Amino acid sequence: MSLLSVEGVTLRFGGLTAVEAVSFTVEAGSITAVIGPNGAGKTSLFNVVTGLYPPSAGQVRLDGRGLIAQADLASWLRWAVVGVATGLGCTVAVNLPDWWDAAINAFAGREPFPWGEAAAALGARLAPTAWNLVPLIAGFAVGLAGAWQAWQRSRCSSERCFRAGIARTFQNIRLFRGMTCSDNLMIALAGAGRLRGAGPLGALLRTPRFRRVEASARAEAGRLLTLVGLAAVADGAAGSLPYGHQRRLEIARALAGCPRLLLLDEPAAGMNESESAALMQLIRRIRDEGTTVLLIEHDMSVVMGISDRVVVLEYGRKIAEGTPAEVRRDPRVIAAYLGDTPAEPA
Amino acid sequence: MTRPSRAQVAWGVALAVVVALPLLDQALPARAALTERVAPILLFAILGLGLTVVSGFTGLLNLGAAAFMALGAYAFSILTCPIYPFQVGFWPGLVAATVVGAGAGALVGLPAMRLRGDYLAIVTLGLGEIVQDVLKNLDVITKGTQGINPVAAPSFGPLILPAAGRHYLLLALVLAAVWVCVALRRSSIGRAWEAVREDELAARCMGVATARAKLGAFALGAALCGLGGGLYASLSNSSLDPGTYDFGRSVIILSIVIVGGLGSIGGALLGAVIMVGFDTILIDELAKATSGETGSERVWAQPGNWKFLVYGLALVLMMRFRPDGLLPAHAPGAAR
Repeated sequence: MSLLSVEGVTLRFGGLTAVEAVSFTVEAGSITAVIGPNGAGKTSLFNVVTGLYPPSAGQVRLDGRGLIAQADLASWLRWAVVGVATGLGCTVAVNLPDWWDAAINAFAGREPFPWGEAAAALGARLAPTAWNLVPLIAGFAVGLAGAWQAWQRSRCSSERCFRAGIARTFQNIRLFRGMTCSDNLMIALAGAGRLRGAGPLGALLRTPRFRRVEASARAEAGRLLTLVGLAAVADGAAGSLPYGHQRRLEIARALAGCPRLLLLDEPAAGMNESESAALMQLIRRIRDEGTTVLLIEHDMSVVMGISDRVVVLEYGRKIAEGTPAEVRRDPRVIAAYLGDTPAEPA
Repeated sequence: MTRPSRAQVAWGVALAVVVALPLLDQALPARAALTERVAPILLFAILGLGLTVVSGFTGLLNLGAAAFMALGAYAFSILTCPIYPFQVGFWPGLVAATVVGAGAGALVGLPAMRLRGDYLAIVTLGLGEIVQDVLKNLDVITKGTQGINPVAAPSFGPLILPAAGRHYLLLALVLAAVWVCVALRRSSIGRAWEAVREDELAARCMGVATARAKLGAFALGAALCGLGGGLYASLSNSSLDPGTYDFGRSVIILSIVIVGGLGSIGGALLGAVIMVGFDTILIDELAKATSGETGSERVWAQPGNWKFLVYGLALVLMMRFRPDGLLPAHAPGAAR
């Protein structure tokens, strides 16, 4: 089975169709490139795969499993609890002055305070009257609907995709600029569950367990920074790194999630030849260590140099797919990049 | 053992002075009540730290800090005032004020967490007004504008704390709040807050549960504001009138955080010293110094009337010369 399968994914923004019925698969351990002219829908496709946008149609599967959460009994129970809590809250809010008057103010000044009588007075008010039932039922409905709505919106989320093993970089670098390089990686390590056991309580008490988990994550961050050649600036602010280093740091941050699939959005943008060559080496090394790579790239020397497969998009549709050599010869791809040339007169 | 940095020395000296204040008070009977005057500074330091977590660490603009303070103050008052049967005493009351603050923060946060920037600011602004109005109109419980009094004074068991004891209690609570902020900041929850502030979308793509992180920050900030409110009520021996917790109060707390340096723990403390110290100490002293000679009926001759002019001017100058605050969270020059 292939690692990632994109099945008929369509993404519409109002009347604009950014991605239309695109299907392809990515085999584990391969490097696949997505190319196409500007505005072809490559980044939109990435955004669907990483859960930033739910697809308008079609689906994305990682290892045969869909990335969108399904409702089960537990989720129904959760919504019901939220509904009941909201209903009770509304009932209390509506009746609070009345109840307070009956149970507290009515017995004010009595020493000792007659708790039993107060409870009885309050109990008498709890009968199913309209004042109690209407807010209870209305609150329940609102709470249930709200919880369901919140769940709907979070079904397809980038957090889930990251935890499932899909990590990415961004076309316009999106590091946490004010944080140190090492802390940038710590975020992703925590996101991937590597800091489990180092919760807020442990942090407050600085328990040995907290220190141990924290130190081992820090060491892992150091290892990844060494991999991308940034160990020397581990404690420097990410935003003050030179551009090429920021690109590498972003890759390291994505790798910190131990992803099974790494999505690189134009990793070689703005790099000179020797930098791209180093980048290609890095990407191969990442692949050799067991991470499958899917990348968007405009630099054809990079694409043709490292890809096992190439997928070509134009105007949101897939127009070609194959090995670099096949794609290079495909007349539709040539037309998309160079414009349609009229047939030579015989 | 490395040599302490200049900043560490400065904080050490400041702490020593604050610890020594009650002694100074006794040594200088003529200028007594130093500790009483410093109390609001310590109190507002706690409130400032609460807002530092929300607005500084997590980058959520909160214009309703006073609302959480009010809820804490009223929770404390209702639970300790002798007109009501609960009378749980000082410490349980204080815990309740903190819990009520945290609960209110989480409740408001739940639906508001999808909002960003200006929209969240508007929601918190509205909350501030709503809480005030509710407290005013729910007079069955809150006694309307009279406020609830008397309430429990700071105490340990049967021992009511004297002035020096109150001072050390406040100081201990400030230090505890500082520890909470420092410890959480250097942990995965603190880094998640920072990541949300720096780039929320990237944070989500790196597996940060942003909604939970923001909710946690909001609840913790509100808890500290609730604690501050409970203390405020206890020190004032009354919940005070709901109008005490108006928008102006929220703005003062926000100014403390901004003047000190958004997101900087030391900045929040320094901001409290400057903003509240100016208000409760400097203006008072000036008023005393001038009221003897000039005709105090003249509006411009009363230092109190210059207060907001000075605040405004100070904020304008800050924005021009130190936009990151007096003690910036990030070293100046670090790219933002």
